[in-house]
Formats: sequence, structure tokens, C-alpha cells
Amino acid sequence: MLGVHGRLLRIDLTTGESAAETLPPDATRLVLGGIGLASLLLLRECPPGADPLGPANPLIFAASPFIGTGITTASKIALAARSPQTGMIGDSLSSSYLAIALKRTGFDAIVIQGQAPEWSVLTIDGERTALRPAGALLGRDAGDAAVALRAELGPGFRAATIGPAGERLVRYAAVANDGRLAGRTGAGAVMGSKRLKGIVIRGDRLPHVADPGGVARIARSLAERSLGPATAKYRELGTAANLAFFNRMGVLPTRNFRSGAFNGAERIAGETLLLEHRADRHACAACTVGCEHHYRTRDGGPAIETRLEYETLFALGSLCSIDDPNVVLRAAARCDALGIDAISTGGTIAWAMECADRGVDLGVPGDDMPRFGDGAAVLQAIEAIGGRQGLGDLLAEGSRRAAAIVGQGSDAWAMHVKGLELPGYDPRKLETMALGLAVAARGACHNRSSAYEVDFSDRLEPASEMAARAQAAAEAEDRAAVLDSLTLCKFLRHAFDDLYAENADLLTRITGEPFSGDDLARSGERIANVKKRFNERQAWTRALDALPPRLLASDANAPSRIDRNWLERAIDAYYAARGWDAAGRIPPDRWTALGLPDAAPAGEA
Amino acid sequence: MTMPPPDLHTVELFGVPRLLAGARAAEAVGATLAELAADLARRVPALSGPVLDPASGWPNAGYAFVVGERFTRDPAHALPGDASILLVASVAGG
Repeated sequence: MLGVHGRLLRIDLTTGESAAETLPPDATRLVLGGIGLASLLLLRECPPGADPLGPANPLIFAASPFIGTGITTASKIALAARSPQTGMIGDSLSSSYLAIALKRTGFDAIVIQGQAPEWSVLTIDGERTALRPAGALLGRDAGDAAVALRAELGPGFRAATIGPAGERLVRYAAVANDGRLAGRTGAGAVMGSKRLKGIVIRGDRLPHVADPGGVARIARSLAERSLGPATAKYRELGTAANLAFFNRMGVLPTRNFRSGAFNGAERIAGETLLLEHRADRHACAACTVGCEHHYRTRDGGPAIETRLEYETLFALGSLCSIDDPNVVLRAAARCDALGIDAISTGGTIAWAMECADRGVDLGVPGDDMPRFGDGAAVLQAIEAIGGRQGLGDLLAEGSRRAAAIVGQGSDAWAMHVKGLELPGYDPRKLETMALGLAVAARGACHNRSSAYEVDFSDRLEPASEMAARAQAAAEAEDRAAVLDSLTLCKFLRHAFDDLYAENADLLTRITGEPFSGDDLARSGERIANVKKRFNERQAWTRALDALPPRLLASDANAPSRIDRNWLERAIDAYYAARGWDAAGRIPPDRWTALGLPDAAPAGEA
Repeated sequence: MTMPPPDLHTVELFGVPRLLAGARAAEAVGATLAELAADLARRVPALSGPVLDPASGWPNAGYAFVVGERFTRDPAHALPGDASILLVASVAGG
């Protein structure tokens, strides 16, 4: 098959040895690449019960057939490991030139195992690998470390680094590359547990594609469409545009999900930020959309410029009752520098703020407890988390673990699914999203479910049949899986007239082998099942497919509540749509019917 | 018998429509969404073209109306006098 190398690079940090291996010949057909490939490899490589922060947990980087072909936005690198935050599948994606560098090495994936004897930097230069001491890079911010590495090694190298939070095993630490973060589920902590401060990659051999002229023609067309109305929102305002609209719809998580509307929303709305704080607009690697809006503080303090996405804006803003845009910008910049996921950071700080409101003892003096609306406290908490200092040591565990440690009923307001803090969509008014969040393999995530698209459309009436809603949630998940595995940006999704058929055509022209739209839809299903199978091996039970109790309880301030029985019936319907049994497990014949028998882990009954 | 005049509605603007109009809301009349859209395009010329089709006033592909907290693409959607109407990007969410 063209367009891929058909090989992976295995690196054992404990011994320093590396070896090239052949990937299963049907890997691309089964799971495409990117997140699908990383998930499939993780299923095979990670033993059941492996300590997420131990040497047996592999850290996997994967590329896709689309990377390096000139297709706009298709330069994302996929990471997978057992999540130290959730114990379930941890997968994340980040736009970066690192993806192209990886593809140029002659490998489609890198599997990193073991633990380096000392803090190190891993160099992958084509087929050659080397470990060297991290030295003075230790303790440096994620971005600074990457800049230093590239300055030393040369611009041909691309870097993935962790910040101080990853070094200290903050459970939601991220992996940074090119100023972007593979943020969710704690891949940075896994990298830290392997004593890897950075990975630098260089290569010079992209695989041939079957129809370079056809791919180039479609890539040009797609680039033109990427500048059309389907992406106007992202170009003009970025994702920050969501905030004011979500607030108006009553789905803006506020004050740790006590409310779906925020009095200070207009102060931190995307429209306000654009007019009063805009600095610049950037594009990710190989992207024509350019959705990354940068903003400048204007509070008289040391001026900073930083990128800001809606998820960061809500998590460090309305969720913590912060309506000062300067505070949110400073907080966002520090999350990036320390290398921590902003959603989980804000979600965990908001949990602590509610603990303070309720007089729950977190083991620190009352004056040191963060309070809703206190911007200085948010900034202080972020630094403490990154350094695991004081209260930060508790908050570095994430809201689920922190609540379990503290007790005192505080799990009632720990807003997570499977240990992953909720994104900025209040599911009490978004029914399909509520289901999508509850059943998502990696925990509460808008990027892997995308079910909100159904709610933000006229596709289903509120009183639609449960089966239709469940099917819509499953299909939304599958579409997201296909995009994540072709490593295309989701902001491009509406630029296609037929997402599956057009991408199947591209994949055919790249690989030289026939793919149909149905094939891609099937791959989406497979990827969802691979992730689920991984979770089953890591002690998943149906009880984990749930929403935080707050969302199910009556609250005068809340937009509404989710009926517990409705949710259980919706989950039943989702399992049925997936062909899973009533307990939510994948029946053996379902696994086989998806063409995945060879992907079953060796030795498993 | 003469028909009563259509109601004057307030259309709340979000995102690009708000930036172009330079206001958080605009007024327009219409008994249906199509009529309202056409009137809105006339009253707020800045929206005509980039957001609303200059001929029909109907939102371009990247934009949509939300009526009563529901997205709708139905031009015949009847508007009660107290309708809550938003003009937003059709791609909601991330």
C-alpha cells in the first residue's frame, strides 16, 4: 500500500534499544491511521492493569496516510497511552509539524516503552535513535524547551516536550509541540513517568502516493473550500465565538456547573476579545483555515500575547466565575507553559472553589482556598498545580481523585466522566451530547463525541425516539473517529459535501487501493470498538458510563436536569446501536464481524 | 379585510453577524422566517452579502437562525409575536 510506510519504530527507554517492525498489512484499511492506529497499537501493546505511570504503559505516536500530502489541516500527530487521569484509553491529537517529521522518518508510528535511567531527550533521526541527558532543560516551560532543542539541533528537527507539570506527573499534563498541546488525558504525565523531557524527530523520506496529480488537485480544491463560509466562524473569531451564544442558550458551564449562564459572559465573549484584545491570527501546520486567534492582555501588568480557545475560555473563565479577560489570558498562557490541560485545570480548580464555598477542609488554611471569581487565586492555583506545591499537589490529581482523597461528599460536585473533566457544553440542555459524554471511551470529551452537533441542529426533535438519538450519537462518534484517524481538522468537516465519500476518494488516490465511503464509515465503527475493547481490558464497567450526579439532580439555578431513567434508557439504546450487549460489552461475534479478530490482544480469552 | 401588519422582532446577533452589524441585536419584521430574513438584510446592509444572501436575505451556508432555542432552516417557519430569534454561525460548537 502506498502513502504509508507499513512500519513502526519500537524504542525501549530502559535499555536504549530500538527496532523497526512491520505493521499489520491491513492496519490502514482497518483503522486508517492517526488516532485509530494509535488506539489499535495501544490495545496490543498495553497489558491489562498496567500502571499508567509505570514502564509497561506504552506511549504511542502515530501518523496518517494524509500527512505530508499537502491536504490542508492534515498535519496532526496522534498520541495514545493508558491515561493516568482516567485509567481508560488516553488519546489526544495535536496539529504540528512534528506529524510531518514523524512521517518523514520512514515509520507510521513510534511505540515508546520502559523508563529512561535518567531524565533524557530522545532523538529520532530517520532510522537512528539516541538518548541523551535532559540536563538544563529540566524545569523549563514546555515551549521554551522545544525552542532550545531546535536551536541546538537545527530547524530540521521538530520537538515534542513536556513542561514542569509533566515532570511532576500532574495527571492531566500535556505534550506540547509547535505551541499546541496534545492536551487531554495526561499523555504529558506518561512521558514524564518515562523520564522523557523531550522527543526530537527529523526525517527525509515521505512515502510515494499513487496519484500525486489527483491528490494535489483535490487538495487545492479543499484549500479553496477551507476559506469559504463553512469555516468563516473559525477564521473570523475562532472558537471563542461559542461563548456568548452558549451563554444565551443556557449551556455555558458556570460556577462549576451550578448554572448554564454567566453574568460576566459579555466581558469575556469572543466578540469582545476580538475588539479589545486581539493581537494576531495564526494557522497550525499545513493549514489554510487559520483559526488560532491570539490576544493581548491590557491590564497594565506585564503584557503577554497568547492563543485562546473556547474550551480554555470557559474553563478558566465562566466555570470559575472569572470575568476578567486579562486573568483568563494569563491563566491560559500559564497552562500552556506549564504543560497542563486547561479544561481539567479549570474543572479541578472549580471543584476546589466549591469546596471552599461549602467549608470542605482541603488541608490548607481558609485564606489559601481558591474562591469563585478570584482571578489571583486561579493564577496561584495553576502555578501550584504545575509545581505540585501545597494545595496544587491535591489538585494535580484531577477532580475525581482529589474528591476521593478529601471525601466529605465532595464527589457530588466533581464534574467529570471517567475522571476526565467535562468540556464547555452543559449537557442538561443538550440531550444527544449528554449521552455522548456519558458513553465516550476517553471520558467527557467534545472532540471524540461531537454529539452536540445533533443538538445544535434541526436534525432531531426534542421528543425523538431514543433509538434515533442513540444512533445519532454513535454516528457522531464515528465521524469524529474518522477525522481523527485521517488526522483532519474537525473545523474542515462542513467543507465536504460528503465527508466519507470524498475522503475515501482521497485515500484511494494516496494508497492506490480502493476505499469507499462505506469503508470509512466502517473504520469509524471499528475505531470506536477498539477503544471500547481497550477499556474493557482495563476494568471498565457500565457504571463508568455515567454523568456527574449534579447533572441528574434538581437545582433551582441549573438550566434543567437530566432524568436518571432517561439516561439509562439512552445508554441502553446506544449499546444496542453499537451492537453491544446489555452490559455494554462487545460480543465476540460483533468484534469478528468488524474484521478485527487479528487485533484481539494475544492471550485474551 | 386587511391582514394585521407583521410583528416587529428583535434578532439577537452573535459572532460575525454581531461584528458586521456593530450591534448585539437588530430589528426586523416578518410573519415567517423568510420574510424576517429579507427585511433584516434590508435594514442591516452590512449583513447582506457576507451573512445573508443579497437576493433573498436567507442566511448563507455558514449561518443559521435559532428560533425558540431550536436551529431551523425552514423559511416558512411562522414567527409568533414573542419569538426569540438569534442569528448565529451554523457551525455551533468546536
